[in-house]
Amino acid sequence: MFGTRGHGGIFTFNRNDGYFEALVRGYRAGILTQADYANLIQCDALEDMKLHLAQTDYGDFLANEPSPLHTTTIAEKCLERLVNEFVHIRNQAVEPLATFLDYITYGYMIDNVVLLITGTLHDRDVTELIEKCHPLGFFKSMATLSAVHSVAELYNTVLIDTPLAPYIQNCLLEEELDEMNIEVIRNTLYKAYLEDFYNYCKELGGETEMIMSDILQFEADRRAINITINSFGTELTKDDRELLYPNFGVLYPEGTSKLAKTDDIDQVKEILNAYVAYRDIISDTSAEKSLEDAFFEYEVKLNKMAFQTQFGYGVFYSYIKLREQEIRNIVWIAECISQQMKSKVNQFIPIF
Amino acid sequence: MSGKNRIPIFPTRMALTTMKSKLKGAVTGHSLLKKKSDALTIRFRAILSKILQNKQLMGATMREASFSLAAAKYAAGEIAHTVYENTTTATMRCRLANENVAGVHLPTFERIKDEGASNPQELTGLAKGGQQINKSREQYVKAIESLIELASLQTAFITLDEVIRTTNRRVNAIEYVVKPRIENTISYIIAELDEGDREEFYRLKKVQGKKKRDLAAKEAEKAQKKELEGVLNPGSSRHQPAQQRTILEEGEEDNLVLFS
Repeated sequence: MFGTRGHGGIFTFNRNDGYFEALVRGYRAGILTQADYANLIQCDALEDMKLHLAQTDYGDFLANEPSPLHTTTIAEKCLERLVNEFVHIRNQAVEPLATFLDYITYGYMIDNVVLLITGTLHDRDVTELIEKCHPLGFFKSMATLSAVHSVAELYNTVLIDTPLAPYIQNCLLEEELDEMNIEVIRNTLYKAYLEDFYNYCKELGGETEMIMSDILQFEADRRAINITINSFGTELTKDDRELLYPNFGVLYPEGTSKLAKTDDIDQVKEILNAYVAYRDIISDTSAEKSLEDAFFEYEVKLNKMAFQTQFGYGVFYSYIKLREQEIRNIVWIAECISQQMKSKVNQFIPIF
Repeated sequence: MSGKNRIPIFPTRMALTTMKSKLKGAVTGHSLLKKKSDALTIRFRAILSKILQNKQLMGATMREASFSLAAAKYAAGEIAHTVYENTTTATMRCRLANENVAGVHLPTFERIKDEGASNPQELTGLAKGGQQINKSREQYVKAIESLIELASLQTAFITLDEVIRTTNRRVNAIEYVVKPRIENTISYIIAELDEGDREEFYRLKKVQGKKKRDLAAKEAEKAQKKELEGVLNPGSSRHQPAQQRTILEEGEEDNLVLFS
């Protein structure tokens, strides 16, 4: 607390980062509550949802949209609002918060890069793909994309200039980009990113490390479990699968080596019985609630805990993730309403 | 029109036989076409009820599929763009096959099952939402299959409809146009032939009557002459030459009647 560390003490944190933490806590107060969700569930049409959302912190964000409202429009506008909030903070942040916030964006950047590689591989017009990229993952060399016509050019001119360059260079060779399955590329990059992020948080130390290491370890384990389950019956071999597990987390190293050898979901459940948290998550699943839903719920729980302490950067990460869950919830409710499937509307995860 | 629509033909016996065989042909044709029309109508009604069932099923399937897509988007995020960019060739194809129902060729669509081909997109959502994506994929496959079936049924429906209409038109044409004409023609020919026969008969009778009258007249003349001869000359020597002469004369008189 009095620490020799430059980051995270009660004496030093507020000098550079206090304003931003306050901003984020203000934003966090606007996250939809159970009462808001109760109102939204009772709507019969998307227009009613628009009215209810106008009374929350969202305000008039849908005001200029033409009359038959679509769920995709709602999703876009919510995301736009989140991006504006994030960019507002990012533009004013100083080190080390700036780097931390950048790390948050690398995940989305990986998705964008993968989309661009896919487009180039199939000879599509890459400039069209820019519109389809996730806004939080924009990088500067996107402007040079129009000159790119092959994967080699993409690699050498564009990708090398991105902050993802170290991940790409360590894991992927130029020739491999053509042959590897695009999902394998995506997961390899993401593994490198997670490991890097985890190490950075450890370097920062203090409250940040405390909060973020839990969250990131859960993310690593969740990916390992998901990759295992989803690769049953596909062409992904067990060795390849093991290469995609991040090298940290509760399950690492014994759990992951066991997971790499499994063949069906019951074996996976047996292995996870040894870990208390995951045993509880799995026992929580049912016909109505899938494993993914249980994971989302646990993630929300972890992210909420970040706001219980101060002087750490965890709040920024958690705020983004909670808002994303909120957007997912709103879109789910909107879809249930527009497709007249109100019986399933309660499958979202309330946050506060 | 006088209402007597018949085929203009010269009324001979051969024409009658031809017409009779035509009538037989028309009757056979009529019964065959009627059978075909009935078979097609049965098939038609069966298809109609199947279409109804299928449409409702398809509605439910499409609804489930859309909902499963919403669930997949919830779990895996915005996968649409990656999926679009990654598509190369179609993994599901369908083929047009032919089915024969009572002589009608109905097109049917079949799904070509390519079991061995691996799907390059099977790893989508590997780290997040893979199961929901797979479920969604299965639902949409089911939806496509029900759409293919519905397409087959609907094309069959339309084709059958056309064919049934034409067949019924032909059946009615034979029943109400062709057969009556032929029957009328036959009755006309028969009437004409009978009339000819009657004329023949009448003529013969008239000729016979005339002959009889002539014969009677001759007999009366002969009798008169005999009486005169008997009075003038009681000798019988003249009779024989007279008889001879009479037979000869009779022969001549006959010639006169027959050939004048």
